[in-house]
Amino acid sequence: MADRRRVNGPVGATIPPVFEDEDVQVQATQRTTRSRAPNGIRKMYLKTGVTPSASGSAYLEIETSGKDGVSGLKLSCTVHGPRSLPRLSPFSPHIILSTHVKFAPFATKQRRGYLRDPSERDLGTHLEAALRGAIIADRWPKSGVDIIISIIEGDQGRETSGAQGDDTWDMMNALSGCITVASAALADAGIDCVDTVAGGVAALVRGSGENDTARIVIDPIPSEHERIEAACCIAYLPARDEITNLWFKGDMPDHDMGIYSELVQQGIQASKLANRVLVESLGETVK
Amino acid sequence: MEAPTLSFSRPLFAKLSPHPYLLRNLSPASPADSPCRSNGRAPHEARPVHIHTGSLSHAHGSALVRAGDTTVICGVRAEALPVTSIPQYRPKTVFDADNSGAGIGRGELKDYDLLVPNIELATGCAPQFLPGVPPTALAQTLSTRVYSLLHAAQIVDPADLRIWYTPPKYEDKMDADTEEDEVEDESTKPQLMAYWVLYIDLLFVSFDGNPFDAAWTVVMAALRNTKLPQARWDPDRETAVCSRAKAAPLNIRGLPLACSAAVFLEKEHAEGGEGRHWILLDPDRLEESLCKEMVTVVVDCSSGETRLRSIEKQGGTVVGRELVRGFAGVAEGRWKEVSKAMG
Repeated sequence: MADRRRVNGPVGATIPPVFEDEDVQVQATQRTTRSRAPNGIRKMYLKTGVTPSASGSAYLEIETSGKDGVSGLKLSCTVHGPRSLPRLSPFSPHIILSTHVKFAPFATKQRRGYLRDPSERDLGTHLEAALRGAIIADRWPKSGVDIIISIIEGDQGRETSGAQGDDTWDMMNALSGCITVASAALADAGIDCVDTVAGGVAALVRGSGENDTARIVIDPIPSEHERIEAACCIAYLPARDEITNLWFKGDMPDHDMGIYSELVQQGIQASKLANRVLVESLGETVK
Repeated sequence: MEAPTLSFSRPLFAKLSPHPYLLRNLSPASPADSPCRSNGRAPHEARPVHIHTGSLSHAHGSALVRAGDTTVICGVRAEALPVTSIPQYRPKTVFDADNSGAGIGRGELKDYDLLVPNIELATGCAPQFLPGVPPTALAQTLSTRVYSLLHAAQIVDPADLRIWYTPPKYEDKMDADTEEDEVEDESTKPQLMAYWVLYIDLLFVSFDGNPFDAAWTVVMAALRNTKLPQARWDPDRETAVCSRAKAAPLNIRGLPLACSAAVFLEKEHAEGGEGRHWILLDPDRLEESLCKEMVTVVVDCSSGETRLRSIEKQGGTVVGRELVRGFAGVAEGRWKEVSKAMG
């Protein structure tokens, strides 16, 4: 049954716009290649304190690839708490994190509904794992904190053809942004952490040529590469040299562990670069 | 040695006893001073509005409105609704490419539910709005108010939302008698095959009072920014096919804008209108929580003269006929400010 607490619109199903084929072909030929260095991340803009009534908040924007129709990531994060747990909940010796990640209905190619779907819940659990390693949880027994992220715009190309299966890679980029922005918001809320955690993505990509060898790039944009073999999203604490969350997906030969460790190493590198932006932005706020 | 004085900071006073705090702020110590609200504004002073449009690439139109600490984002997205999937569809036979017969389709928007505004507050935009719960009463009320005002003010032209199909003429038809000719004529007339449905989604990033004004301003700004791709009906695929190159802006009729105020009473639990009262324009979160009576007036001055499009008043007995009339003048001033920000 339709949700009667929202305006649901027409009963019949609506179809998202379908664009003419010739346009898509033109776009496919224009598929841009990566202009950045393989070990460089895109520019980011990070600002804390966008929601004054929350305990802490932050906004992160990652620049677009310069190609028309491909959006950059835009995230807004609010932190509420620490607050006491509800009366009926069982005793907890440490702080309880609850993370919500939600795409705005206008964030992606397909319009999203208002109820969280499994992929958003999955992002939430990964985010929780990444942050749990950074927060000094024993300082707040019997309390909870809510971390809410709205993805205002996803990191996605607009054309549909040739981009099938990109969603999984988009999710990785979204998660790395979520980790960085949540870390900034936690710092803004004054919740004690061992270090600022930041997210980074590295991917094993293959060019369009037949005999192109696979190479590793950081902060990949799926629309810029013909094929992504594997990718890995890492949450990393630089001061302690610790990984709090590792999410690896893809297809890789198992005889060569070297590639795998190189991928993780590059992921850490991406995370370090994001961390530099994070620390700089927090430093500016303190001033 | 001096005894430590017991004194609290201003935010702490505001939290402990909000009503006396705001009252003391509004009653100046000397009659020479003009009253000033706890946020530093004069009673009839609204927060400046900043509007930014077209920043979202996946939506057909978008806007961001910031008034003080209230920030809303709106994305307008169009999806095609084939007439075959509309129950109780009444076909129109008249083709009006030049929008001359716009009056015919007055009921279309409402009957087929072509405008779908939804407001999401559960983004942690204020401590009382956390996700994981169904939409709050406020979110539902706001969605409904925007929905009804969109229909009542008739700002969207239904002609913009129609997708037509003109069947091709077959030249090589056999020599037919006159009766078949007439049938042929009938079938080559343009047919209405689908409608665009506008999904208008609002997301509050930060909430600090007066949500309706911000929501309505962002809806207007986003609709004015909306460009629908030119669509033609493809009978084989049974869907609307759009061209990426051509897009036309919507014809938005007029520019109604909302202006809200709250009435603050001197006595916290007063029943009647006794005691002094203040009319606080563009209330923030603290003021909204202390006021029972709210007035919202929607005016449109885009045609040169001021036209009232909607008056809403809830609770309380202070605002009467004269005050509403005076308030329309305030709303007119506010309209000029906001429309200037809209550009």
